[in-house]
Amino acid sequence: MTDVVAQPTENSPDEVSAAARGRHLVVSEVITLYALSIFCALALAGILVTVTGGSAADVFNALLDGSVRNPGRWGLTLGAAAPLLLVALGTIVSARAGLVNIGQEGQLLIGAAFATYVGTRLGGPGPVVVMGLCIAGIVGGAIWAGFAGALRYWRGVPEVLTTLLLATVAGSAVGYGLKNEWLLLAPAGDRANRNQVSEQLADDNRLPRITWFGNEFPTTVFLAIALAAATAFVLARTVPGFRLRMLGQNPRTAQRAGVGATRYGMASMLISGGFAGLAGAAMLAGGDFGNYQLVPGFSTNIGWTGLLVALVARERAVSAIVVAFVFAGLRTGSGFLAATGVERKITDVVQALLVLALLIPPAVLYIRERRRAVNASKERV
Amino acid sequence: MNITKRFGAVVACDAVDLTLDRGRIHGVLGENGAGKSTLMKVLIGLVIPDGGQVKIDGKVATINDPIDAATQGIGMVHQHFSLVDALTVWENVALGDVGKLRPAAIRDRVGDLSSHYGLTIDPDAVVGELPAGMRQRVEIIKCLRRDPQVLIFDEPTSVLTPAESEQLFEALRRVVDEEGRAVALVSHKLDEIRHATDAVTIMRQGKVVERIATADSDAASLARAMVGRPVSLRSESAALGVLPEPAPERDAEATVPGASSVALEIRDATARGGDGRVLLDDLSLDVRPGEILGVAGVEGNGQRELGDLMSSLLHLHGGQVTVAGTKVKTGKAGAMAAAGVAVIPEDRHDSGCVLDMTVAENLFLAEPGRVASGGVMDRKRMKQHAEALIDQYSISCQGPDAPLWSLSGGNQQRVVLARELANQPEVLVAAQPTRGLDVGAIEYMSEQLRAAAASGVAVLLISTELEEILDLADRIVVLSRGKVAGEMSRADVDLESLGLLMGGALIDEAEGGAAQ
Amino acid sequence: MNAVWDILSNAITYESAARGAVLLLFAASGEWVAERAGTLNISVEGMLLSGAFAAAVAIDATGSVAVALIAGAIAGLVLSAVQANLSHRLPADQFVVGLTINILVLGLVGFLDNELEPAVSSVEVVEIPILSDIPLVGGALFGQIWPFYLIYPLIPFVWWLVYRTRWGLEVRSVGEDPNSADVSGIQVNKRRREAIYLAGITSGIGGAYLLTSVNSFVDSIIGGRGFIAIAAVIFGGWTLKGSVAGCLLFGAVVSFRLSLPAAGVESVNTELLQALPYLVTIAGMALFAHKVRPPAALTRPFLRGLK
Repeated sequence: MTDVVAQPTENSPDEVSAAARGRHLVVSEVITLYALSIFCALALAGILVTVTGGSAADVFNALLDGSVRNPGRWGLTLGAAAPLLLVALGTIVSARAGLVNIGQEGQLLIGAAFATYVGTRLGGPGPVVVMGLCIAGIVGGAIWAGFAGALRYWRGVPEVLTTLLLATVAGSAVGYGLKNEWLLLAPAGDRANRNQVSEQLADDNRLPRITWFGNEFPTTVFLAIALAAATAFVLARTVPGFRLRMLGQNPRTAQRAGVGATRYGMASMLISGGFAGLAGAAMLAGGDFGNYQLVPGFSTNIGWTGLLVALVARERAVSAIVVAFVFAGLRTGSGFLAATGVERKITDVVQALLVLALLIPPAVLYIRERRRAVNASKERV
Repeated sequence: MNITKRFGAVVACDAVDLTLDRGRIHGVLGENGAGKSTLMKVLIGLVIPDGGQVKIDGKVATINDPIDAATQGIGMVHQHFSLVDALTVWENVALGDVGKLRPAAIRDRVGDLSSHYGLTIDPDAVVGELPAGMRQRVEIIKCLRRDPQVLIFDEPTSVLTPAESEQLFEALRRVVDEEGRAVALVSHKLDEIRHATDAVTIMRQGKVVERIATADSDAASLARAMVGRPVSLRSESAALGVLPEPAPERDAEATVPGASSVALEIRDATARGGDGRVLLDDLSLDVRPGEILGVAGVEGNGQRELGDLMSSLLHLHGGQVTVAGTKVKTGKAGAMAAAGVAVIPEDRHDSGCVLDMTVAENLFLAEPGRVASGGVMDRKRMKQHAEALIDQYSISCQGPDAPLWSLSGGNQQRVVLARELANQPEVLVAAQPTRGLDVGAIEYMSEQLRAAAASGVAVLLISTELEEILDLADRIVVLSRGKVAGEMSRADVDLESLGLLMGGALIDEAEGGAAQ
Repeated sequence: MNAVWDILSNAITYESAARGAVLLLFAASGEWVAERAGTLNISVEGMLLSGAFAAAVAIDATGSVAVALIAGAIAGLVLSAVQANLSHRLPADQFVVGLTINILVLGLVGFLDNELEPAVSSVEVVEIPILSDIPLVGGALFGQIWPFYLIYPLIPFVWWLVYRTRWGLEVRSVGEDPNSADVSGIQVNKRRREAIYLAGITSGIGGAYLLTSVNSFVDSIIGGRGFIAIAAVIFGGWTLKGSVAGCLLFGAVVSFRLSLPAAGVESVNTELLQALPYLVTIAGMALFAHKVRPPAALTRPFLRGLK
């Protein structure tokens, strides 16, 4: 998303080997920089905990217990990681096209809403309904992102704002839907006195879950990982992916080369929203969130966190798999914090600090890289 | 009194010594990339030297930023980048001062300076709306306002018609003779240096190779010093900034078979910018296969828009473009490229290449399908094809997987050229193709353009460098205010009328009919 | 229809509209300067929130409104420093940084709120004699708590800063053409950072003001209004007058939603009302965004010589 203005260099043999040596130094620099940044972030969080009367060690242990150590927990973590990964993938697609989509929270919610509608009304064999609701989720998310895309390409409104504002609107829209039986609200008899809740998905209409080593998680995990691999492949090796990257890196050159900004840009927004919507559908039908029912606040920040995953993963689909797991771990781990007396919100703080901390090394390295290039290019001005 | 500048071991400038005397116009001559810009940047505070020092009137001076330079009496009139379009003239002139903002005082000073030097300008005009020649006046006033003892002019004539250049040199002469200042004229154009300066320092590859009084020099020896080898003034005239002698021996008509078919036709092209400004005004021209049509003119008269039009980056509100008989939709992504129009754009970083992608990827930007099967790009094929092209065009790089930003400007240009020519285009549009290139690269580019024409491609050469146009073109049109102001064939070229046509609009505007 | 007339003729409508607008104005006035400098800081939301929380803590600790405002300003300044230095000293993407700051502040504030639980007392209204008796709008403009009145000098001050001082000239040049500004000797990124600091201060004060006008702190107290402030600047074509108009419009809509129940109109859909400010903001931008010209270098980071 940043502009790059670079310097040319003529490469004589001496320079090449010097560059190689330079690159070796850089690798150890890189690792130190990252390690230092992560350490600082965690240290800050630790200080925060201690200053407000908690024990950092307790918190750390609780997080580990809650995310992976205790029995059954890493299954939960996987279940949380799947939608995070899906949202992150969508973000990566739009980011590579040069767009700033930060409304995943809303796109996810609308996707979940569409999935609820279809999932509770479509008749037919289980697998068909599940497919149907997933597709509905994709469509819902795509439409929601599409509004922002349309406003950008036809009215010049920056999508950073529209996606954001629409995310809040999505909350209200779903809230409305959950108050009306003709939309999302469950019929009175099924509701058990709760106000805004949708019908529960029938047993057949749920995503299958599997159990490995005592950990249960939905098969969406595999879907997400497969999609991550596919996204990485498409972006790096196929013609449409190539064109998309061109658009993100230099829209004018892309225009010359036949990549219409509107067409490719809109497509990437739709895809981005579609991923978020799919995440919503997966959350609904996967079982780890809300017991197969849609409720207000259903999205529980998965959208925001998924976006952060993409940022930390530097917009690389394969890295996103690991980062999604880490952030999911923070999430499930925070469930165990009550016992330590530390407020759950600390994990939000840790997440944000981590993201900020991880922004610094690439920035510093970029500057060093440019300084080197500028110095080397002083040969030819 | 002497003003001395001495530097050492800045890699772009290697132990450069430069002495500017008061009362004289000193030329700094060198091809693009010789280090003269860096030298000037040191003087003006944009670059800190690694060694050496600057002395003004015998005293050592420390210059850390442009404001320092200004306070110590050094001012520079930049080629392009020192005016903010959205601000007015007086605001631009005030930019870079320190202290409280006093609009009335600044306006007055602008008025004084403009009448004193004969550079009429309205202090409240918005710079963005001024034509290029007027903008340079603002630049000059901005420089003079701080009463500099040393004035540096960086390639000043690229935005001026020949007549305006003459005026500028006269003004410079006045400045040094009457006011005892020192002027440094930085240029890569031989003729200009010979014409306007008292002494010349020639730089090559970061070093000073010769210092000579202009009167004692001749074109050939200057050229040789500049480039480092004997050069033919005739064939490399464009590169050296020498106006070629009239009527070169090339005989364009004979190489064009069936010259009646037109490869590129632009008819009544009209385009408007977002703020209603007219960019192209009923522009019409045509180019035949095998012909090189030179579009001359002073910068800012529609050259960039013409280039954008042919790059599918500009949509026409009126008129049409036809390539080899087929009408092409303007502004539609890739339409021109698909119709067989190859473009070497004015600013390759802006619309010619993607710096972060590899050489191989850049070579196939518009046609990834050629190295793909079923939508998947075949790395091996891409590498093979890329290597073939790298070979064919002698592109110096670390390999097809090198990122484009690691190549030098000349080599990046070759990548663009290779890509564009590889598809056997009908039309080749070259917009300022040799800007910023050194003599060797310029020669190579000129050769390539001639070769393309010889093989039947219709070449549209857009350039603000008259020398280049005169060297390469068969026919010449002059672009002024977004339309074609006049046409002549190379054989019948009349420099005076060319100059008049280029300055066309300005003659109407200049008060009291100057410009002769 | 009657209900609409009831609302429009009720002074309370105007009072709450003014409060809503002024919150936006505090943020928008600073962000306007920052955007004229070529930066776009979605972290304004976080700055507002941090200002509100800092004010809550300050009031809890000292009971002084003045201290609360200062605390708010400092909080906003600190966050703006993070934004400014990560995005305009180091080349981190300003949207990413902005977004993360918002999330950080939300988490931090939520966390600290639960730990500290500051108690807020309300502040007395200070009525300006005579002027506050003007029918309908008198109370709205001149019958508010005293921090409200800070907006009156702030707006002209900001205008003067941008159009009449050298600093302002440099800021404008940096937003239009950073390369030319740089060559003229102006420190581009420094000016950008300074403009962002200004936005941080005004937003921090804005958040603090909001806090002093309500009875308690909740972490949803800002609720997206930082983004609406940014939208107001865009809607206003990056002019101060336009931004003020935008804030008045959007602020009115925000409070409209609150006045409806007060005027006895219950039947309108709650969710629609909830979403109304954002929908109106989107619609406003949709209508006007493509007609206006942003500062030419808006959102484009500047890198040269890495100063």
